[in-house]
Amino acid sequence: MTIPAAALDFLTERAKTVGVASPVRDDDLFKSGVLDSFQLVDLIVLLEANGGIKIPDPDIDAENFHSIAAIEQYLSSRKD
Amino acid sequence: MAGSGIYLPERIVSNEEIAEALGLDPDYIFKSAGIRRRRWASSTETTSSLAVAALGRALKDARLAPADVDYLLFGTMTPDRFIPGTAAAVQRKNGLRDIPCLDIRATCCNALYGLQIARALIATKVACNVAICLAEIQSPWLEMSPESGKISMLFGDGASALIVSAARGEASLEILDILLATDGNYMDDLGIRSPGTEFGRPGKAADSLPRMVGQSVILQASRKVVTACEAILQRNHIAVEEVRWVVPHEGNSNLLARVMRNLSVSAEKTTAISVMEDLGNTSSASMGIAIDKLRRAHETKSGDYVLLPAFGAGFTWGAGLCRVS
Repeated sequence: MTIPAAALDFLTERAKTVGVASPVRDDDLFKSGVLDSFQLVDLIVLLEANGGIKIPDPDIDAENFHSIAAIEQYLSSRKD
Repeated sequence: MAGSGIYLPERIVSNEEIAEALGLDPDYIFKSAGIRRRRWASSTETTSSLAVAALGRALKDARLAPADVDYLLFGTMTPDRFIPGTAAAVQRKNGLRDIPCLDIRATCCNALYGLQIARALIATKVACNVAICLAEIQSPWLEMSPESGKISMLFGDGASALIVSAARGEASLEILDILLATDGNYMDDLGIRSPGTEFGRPGKAADSLPRMVGQSVILQASRKVVTACEAILQRNHIAVEEVRWVVPHEGNSNLLARVMRNLSVSAEKTTAISVMEDLGNTSSASMGIAIDKLRRAHETKSGDYVLLPAFGAGFTWGAGLCRVS
């Protein structure tokens, strides 16, 4: 499942804010500074609002959201 | 809540004073947590001595004598002694009668647990005037090194006390509801392991230092506190727009801002009472200090709804709902 456009826009905006290139599929969003813990909370709100899923609290772990690929993999697993 | 009081140690410790030892920039501490300074207790002060002073002020505020208190609750993570509970020390030092004295160990949610227990004691006519002491001396446990910088920058010392009475006075806070929850799966993400029976006796030195997985705390607190606030408002049929004051346990100002935003709280209609900038995270004591600040500001009006969110080690979290009488 591809990442919702609103979430991708959010990551692109964050990249601009911190002065790095827009993230591509396997870029580590935390190492690049695009995400921190607070920004991840905002991203999760967007994923829930635009991805048609409810993300349970135990799944809110940086590992599931550290790259666009990881996010897409997680979203696909939630759709099963 | 008919009375409140606080006591803060005299020594003010600025970010500039500790930043170098912690390997941090003073401005980073403020930007990442909203803290500019905190209080540290002297070596002659104890957790109970801070609480005794706060309780004396709370009793005066409630116009009660020590003999009027018929139940004492004490919330702390940093007790005077391993055994017995610190409530016993306060009972003796404040000259209270031979009343029940109970320590609570629900970390940063101690104020909420205390209010829930006090409300139940009064509703069941076990007690008429319940004193809740909330105090911490955390500074001696802070390791002043770069390895522990992001934990040690956060904490301060202080005490608050609340009086919960059956009698309703002018401008007192009526406790409408308290909602609390715990998920022990996160025990290792925030806390201090030792002394205790699980990690050896006396245990490794590192186990006696505070442990915090900051990312887990932020991620879980951001969600769980919002959910608790929404739930308590919903079950009391109150819209978030009706909340006039948010009086939190505050562990991080940025976290509080996220919670306020995710609750869709309007800054025009709702004011958060923050004590973080001057005091840091005083754990058990913080919510009581914020409640005291709200009461002394004399800006409340009869009928104002007050929301009390909290999150702490365990994880345990919750929200309280009060109304100004």
